[in-house]
Amino acid sequence: MSKAAIETVNLVKQYPAVLRNVRNRHPWMAWQVGGLREIFSRKKNFIRALNGVNLKIYRGEVFGLLGPNGAGKTTLIKILCTLVLPDGGEAYVNGYNIIKEPSRVLRNLQAVLGDPRGFDWRLSAKQNLEFYATLYGLPRDYAKKRVEELLDLMGLSDRANDMYQRFSTGMARKLQLCRALLLDTPIILFDEPTAGLDPASAVDFRHLLKDELAKSEGRTIFIATHNMWEAQTICDRVAIINRGEIIAWGSPENLKMYISPEKNYVLTIDGCCDALKMKEFMNEAFSLTGVKDLRLQADNASVRISIRVDKDFVFSEILDIMVKYGLKIKDVESYEPSLEEVFIALIRGGKRSL
Amino acid sequence: MINFSNLPVAVRQVIAFAKRDFRDWRTYKTQVITQVITIAIGILSWAINAVYRNRPVPEYDTDYISFLVVGLVIGNLVMPISQGLERRLNPWTLENIIMTGISIPVFVAGQMAWPYIFSLITFIPQLLIGILWFGVKLSINPLSTALAFVISAMILLGLSMISVGFRLVTKSTDPITWTINTLQQLLAGISFPVQFLDSFLPGISSLSWFLPQTWVYHLWRLSMLKAAAITDPLTQIECLKGFIFALILFPIGYRAFKWGLNRAKKDGTLGWF
Repeated sequence: MSKAAIETVNLVKQYPAVLRNVRNRHPWMAWQVGGLREIFSRKKNFIRALNGVNLKIYRGEVFGLLGPNGAGKTTLIKILCTLVLPDGGEAYVNGYNIIKEPSRVLRNLQAVLGDPRGFDWRLSAKQNLEFYATLYGLPRDYAKKRVEELLDLMGLSDRANDMYQRFSTGMARKLQLCRALLLDTPIILFDEPTAGLDPASAVDFRHLLKDELAKSEGRTIFIATHNMWEAQTICDRVAIINRGEIIAWGSPENLKMYISPEKNYVLTIDGCCDALKMKEFMNEAFSLTGVKDLRLQADNASVRISIRVDKDFVFSEILDIMVKYGLKIKDVESYEPSLEEVFIALIRGGKRSL
Repeated sequence: MINFSNLPVAVRQVIAFAKRDFRDWRTYKTQVITQVITIAIGILSWAINAVYRNRPVPEYDTDYISFLVVGLVIGNLVMPISQGLERRLNPWTLENIIMTGISIPVFVAGQMAWPYIFSLITFIPQLLIGILWFGVKLSINPLSTALAFVISAMILLGLSMISVGFRLVTKSTDPITWTINTLQQLLAGISFPVQFLDSFLPGISSLSWFLPQTWVYHLWRLSMLKAAAITDPLTQIECLKGFIFALILFPIGYRAFKWGLNRAKKDGTLGWF
């Protein structure tokens, strides 16, 4: 059996553009003219939402799909959920083909799609979950128990009998997760998991995804987001998608290294020191192989040295020279690019694999 | 007492839809009251109208009030089969419902379950008002009534699935069902026998028989007003004609619904209005 929880092979999806244009220009004639033409015409314009997407997500990992708005993230999630049919390529969920075996796919994967309107607003949280539990085919007694367990897990037990329309965004998101967990599938997909949540709720939600669902329960978590910090914090691996193409993939750390092959350090020297000694230190340090740049900044209280080196440079070589010249280090800071900078660099650049 | 745990999953799923819609319906308390009053006033208004214009209806061996009230009752009893699917279709929840892996027949049956149960509940008082207050005379043959129900359900479900299939794609009313429903008002014989149309334009009543709804009203009236026996060759022929419509429309409807669903999945518009 394949180790991949999710695998896509050259996945292609394109949407007809004509209907949208006709509707935007002439909403009143969308159906009468544009709608009919759109449905039956063979000549159509298309927008490519996915253009040959290849991904392999392994069991038990937290995988992040990053991309700007309109990059194709939601389309990919909906294809995996069997809600959108691809135009080309293949996709597998735990080895099941999403087109040929949709019911088996849905027994292995559920999603939190993020749209708060997906519940009946006039029913309570409990009634909504019981309704979906029946649709999932759960036995009645087990369903009741499971609903209560999940409401408890999400901290919603106190509000179980409140109408869904009274729920805040955070509570609605938790209830969506309850629904996705009803069937206890090994894979859960999230579309923008913390969008609209306050910082405290977002932290709780991330903790739930990473520590409870992934680490403790061993589920595969797939999140689509444009929140770089979130991806950096919780994902084992990420892929960056832009205009329907995966342009980079790998661990967040590797991605950072890739766009910035050099490292930057700032050393703060304790107290003032002899100018001649400092000049000699600078000359000797700059002569080391791998040192690209060395700058000195001094004020009355301290001296700061900024060093740019190759990523393979052994930093202890610098420290040895400092000891030799009797320089005392007060502080060392290293700087590395954030995933956000990686993202921007890659979106403006080309395809990278790691 | 029914043990719900022992029911087949599909039946429990249909009940779940009905329960959800009932719970939703009862939260609109004012609407519940106004809906019941509207139904009662509606039947009173039609019945008084019928008494005022009362005349014999030889086509069904009855009087006009019985003809009209039975037509109205049929409308409330049978038409919800088609209306339920169309009115309860909610794009916001559709994606989540489909993600449960539910089968199409269960989904269709579930969507129309509550509207139908509601109609059944209101059917009894309507009939009682008609009989006790306005002297409606019924002559029912249970077997042919059951057959009329099956045929009409297939016809209306077929039409409804065609409509919903189109709506899933266009997010708007479909012209085919709109045309059929609009023509029904004039030609299907809801408030007069279709033969009466010939007195305005000779031969036009023959057009009525091409409308599927005409057969719904006709077969129900035959079984409820004329006690048409299923063993009677004339009844069998009429049922056969209606059944041909059902046999054509039901599979077309199913295919249209599946087409609409797949098309919406292909266009990525399943959750759109």
